[in-house]
Amino acid sequence: MTTTTGATTGVRRRTVLATGSAGAALTTLATTVDATPADAAGAGARFFRHGVASGDPMPDRVVLWTRVTPTAAATPGSGTGPAARVRWEVSTRKDFRRVVRRGQVVTGAHRDHTVKLDVTGLKPATWYYYRFTYRGARSRVGRTRTAPAAKARPTNLRFGVVSCTNWQAGYFAAYRGLAARNDLHAVLHLGDYLYEYAPGEYGYGQSDRDIRRHDPAREMVSLEDHRRRHAQYKTDPDLQALHAKYPWVITWDDHEVTNDQWRGGAENHQAAEGDYLRRRARAHRAYDEWMPVRMDGTARLGDGDRLFRRLTFGRLAEISMLDLRTYRTRQPSGPTAAREINDPAATITGDAQMRWLKQSLSRPAPFWKVIGNPVMISPVTFAQLPSAIVGAVNEVTGLLPADGVPYNVDQWDGYTADRAEVLRHIKDHHVQNALFVTGDIHSGWAAEVPYDAGNYPLGGTGAVEFVCTSVTSNNLKDITGTPAHTTSTAVEQTILANNRHIKYLNFDDHGYSVLDLNAKRAQMDWFVIGDRADRGTSIRWSRSFVTLASTNLVKEAFVPLHRQKPGQS
Amino acid sequence: MCGCGDRHEPGTPTPYDAGRAELATGRRTLLKAGGGVAFSAAAGLATASGGLAEAAPARRERRRVYVLVVDGCLPEEVTGGQTPHLFELMVTGQRWRRAQSMPIMETIPNHVMMMTGVRPDRSGVPANAIYDRRLRDVRDLDRPSDLRADTIIQRLNRRGLRTGTVLSKEYLYGIFGARATARWEPAPIIPVSGHAPDEFTINAAMQMVEDVDPHLMFVNLGDIDRYGHTDVTGPLGAKVLRRLALLKTDAYVGRFVQMLKDRGTWKDSMVLVLADHSMDWSTPTSVISLAGPLDDDPFLRGKVQIADNGGADLLYWTGATRQREEAVRRMLRIAKAEPGVLSAHDRRTRWLRLGPEAGEVVVFCRAGWRFSDPDPLTSNPIPGNHGHPATRPIPFFVNGGHPRLKHRAASSAVAQTVDVAPTVASFFGVRGRPRGGWDGKARV
Repeated sequence: MTTTTGATTGVRRRTVLATGSAGAALTTLATTVDATPADAAGAGARFFRHGVASGDPMPDRVVLWTRVTPTAAATPGSGTGPAARVRWEVSTRKDFRRVVRRGQVVTGAHRDHTVKLDVTGLKPATWYYYRFTYRGARSRVGRTRTAPAAKARPTNLRFGVVSCTNWQAGYFAAYRGLAARNDLHAVLHLGDYLYEYAPGEYGYGQSDRDIRRHDPAREMVSLEDHRRRHAQYKTDPDLQALHAKYPWVITWDDHEVTNDQWRGGAENHQAAEGDYLRRRARAHRAYDEWMPVRMDGTARLGDGDRLFRRLTFGRLAEISMLDLRTYRTRQPSGPTAAREINDPAATITGDAQMRWLKQSLSRPAPFWKVIGNPVMISPVTFAQLPSAIVGAVNEVTGLLPADGVPYNVDQWDGYTADRAEVLRHIKDHHVQNALFVTGDIHSGWAAEVPYDAGNYPLGGTGAVEFVCTSVTSNNLKDITGTPAHTTSTAVEQTILANNRHIKYLNFDDHGYSVLDLNAKRAQMDWFVIGDRADRGTSIRWSRSFVTLASTNLVKEAFVPLHRQKPGQS
Repeated sequence: MCGCGDRHEPGTPTPYDAGRAELATGRRTLLKAGGGVAFSAAAGLATASGGLAEAAPARRERRRVYVLVVDGCLPEEVTGGQTPHLFELMVTGQRWRRAQSMPIMETIPNHVMMMTGVRPDRSGVPANAIYDRRLRDVRDLDRPSDLRADTIIQRLNRRGLRTGTVLSKEYLYGIFGARATARWEPAPIIPVSGHAPDEFTINAAMQMVEDVDPHLMFVNLGDIDRYGHTDVTGPLGAKVLRRLALLKTDAYVGRFVQMLKDRGTWKDSMVLVLADHSMDWSTPTSVISLAGPLDDDPFLRGKVQIADNGGADLLYWTGATRQREEAVRRMLRIAKAEPGVLSAHDRRTRWLRLGPEAGEVVVFCRAGWRFSDPDPLTSNPIPGNHGHPATRPIPFFVNGGHPRLKHRAASSAVAQTVDVAPTVASFFGVRGRPRGGWDGKARV
């Protein structure tokens, strides 16, 4: 049994942090308390309004997270409220008759009353239940699972895959769909876990209608803004259910700070909003407080904000989660883009992360080298698209303005030297089974990553990329305002025709994916939802694509994972 | 010349010359065989009727192992469309989709690793071509005496079991020599490549099953490699010749497996299919020659020999021993600075495990490059090469009717060429290991 104390002491702030008043969060929280699941009702629900979560599973440890609200005034971002001693327990049984680890931590306003700890001494590949207690009231029970032992060879690994969850654009039905499954080992979130926009700025469809309004009702800039926004997302019942059911492995993309961020600024950052790096430091601080991730390799708060990291799942897979925002140079733009995108000095990873990524790819033990990749690495040309549609495609995918430049420059396409370096490394060492699992662009893709797109397929392929669609963020049909599978279908066919290495593209649907890995193949299923404005909308399996091990080729699979036995090819 | 062709000074005997001499002097005897195929055995093992004398254990042992090496094949080349028979064997058997050739990723050392189960620092065979300090010349490791380790072939022989080698390449015929109970005398031989086409090799293998019925048969099918080496469409990815070879060799493997099933041997058999290395292609503009840059250094000038192995150069210091460390530092620095060089290593680097025969420094090229030493134009003009890390992955799978084998199974383990011998030993229940143990692992 371990006892963890003083987890919140000795915090070294990276910057001077602004804290604000409780403000407008109260109304939202009052609403969401009502929506808290029944098993967490009562006093526990009052103290633990933001659910429980776990993440970054390792063979002997996992990060556990919650937030306690010790007094009514101690709302997120308020910077007020007493210190609170929170007890935690980990058990192999849901009824907690066999507690294997327990301890207590003290949290307080300085860390927005969040609780985050790395529970060690656990057994590999084991389901655990955990809960928190404050003043005798218990949180809901969360379930988590440790990773397989380093030398284990699990039959399969199965992950839910999500990205781009915009509160204002609708309900998180995709989270509900994943939470209803019992066959996952973890959930991968590939970024844009939350959005920075004010109400009315980025919502549902062409008119940006807010299905739900962001709190605070302004673009998040201050630390209080970020804390309140994180808190608001954590009140969503579907999000809470999925966090409580599986450990998550998460990275950020741009919207955790602000749109199209790069290492020195962002498209959605203006001078009036203050120093960009201070803004980013506040965003990272709130992220460190509110997310079940290890930053700089620890669950301690404020000891660094390095988010790129490896998580090993026995010998079957290793997931290398990338951070493609913090170290990148500014995105190419405008008519000179063609020169900028080939600039060898331009980087999307930064030097240290590039070295680390190449080490990840060269590690001999993992069978599948999964790269949690916030933005697409497959080259995509949009050269043949009609100019009338370029703007809409641009808005979905984060492309260049409609100036005829046929590249997706916010993605790896804007940093061709880095992509070439990764692919050259793969080719030089004949790295097998590199699998990029990607989010960001609000659409589903399956692609072979060619060494030379101009010589595809003869020139060979170095990896495979599966891209999940957005949970709620607008896609092409939402922006064009056209019915599903009309305008988008023509665009999809044009892109597929001009990019033969891309085998699947769905610009119209929201949803989630499920990725399954075994020693024969990797398969990703795409699930799509109905109307994201409907909390109870339908969910259905859409398509599946597979890559057989060591082929770097993609083909369609016609049997979804939930109809297969584990280990089936 | 790269390490893939035969390398002999004019006038020196080739391995085939040595084999013919053994027959002429009576040290080996031709066995009676059908189909115009010639098998030889040690004189003492042949009966008066041209058959093999059979020990009692051989009569009791029904298990059979066939190790088929599809020389130079890439794992991704085994597909349902291109190689349907190999693909069927792979997916219905047990596969290791992350299997590897071992340094140096060349034919001779990896075939030796397959049969010895030990790495080159223990077998004495690190590459195809080495600089022989005694002869003061670069030569192929194609002599039986070059192989210092015990082989699974000899271990089975000592148990009274029959073994056979059907090796299409001259230098493999040479290095494995007379170790097997029965040896195919390859014919016809293509002069430049020094190998027998797969059509003849597979016929010989089938005939050996009929006539000798070895418990372990070791087969090298050289066409995929040989066509790949010379395929000028390789750098563009078309690989026209290569694809033709894959198609044909696949059909030959299909015939061989069908023959085992028709004979009723399949139910007792394990067929292990793998490659010794894979292949990479380069254009004439992507050639590295270290001889010039090394010679430009006054300290090294005239005191470095290079054994070119296609994708790997082995550098040998021939100057004073007391100057070796300085020479190694300079060789490493100069090699690493050359365009196209992926990495250069002190040969004593632990993971390489190459032994002193590999010289002082090992240099690997990047994908899409090759070495041509000592002459940048003439030493290695062929587009297809291996020996460098890009050519490390190989296919590796087993199938067969023996109840011990798994079917439709896959392993995430990294299988290696050095695993073959312990796998065969395990299958036959051979106890005991080489002194110092196996370097590989039994995979069944």
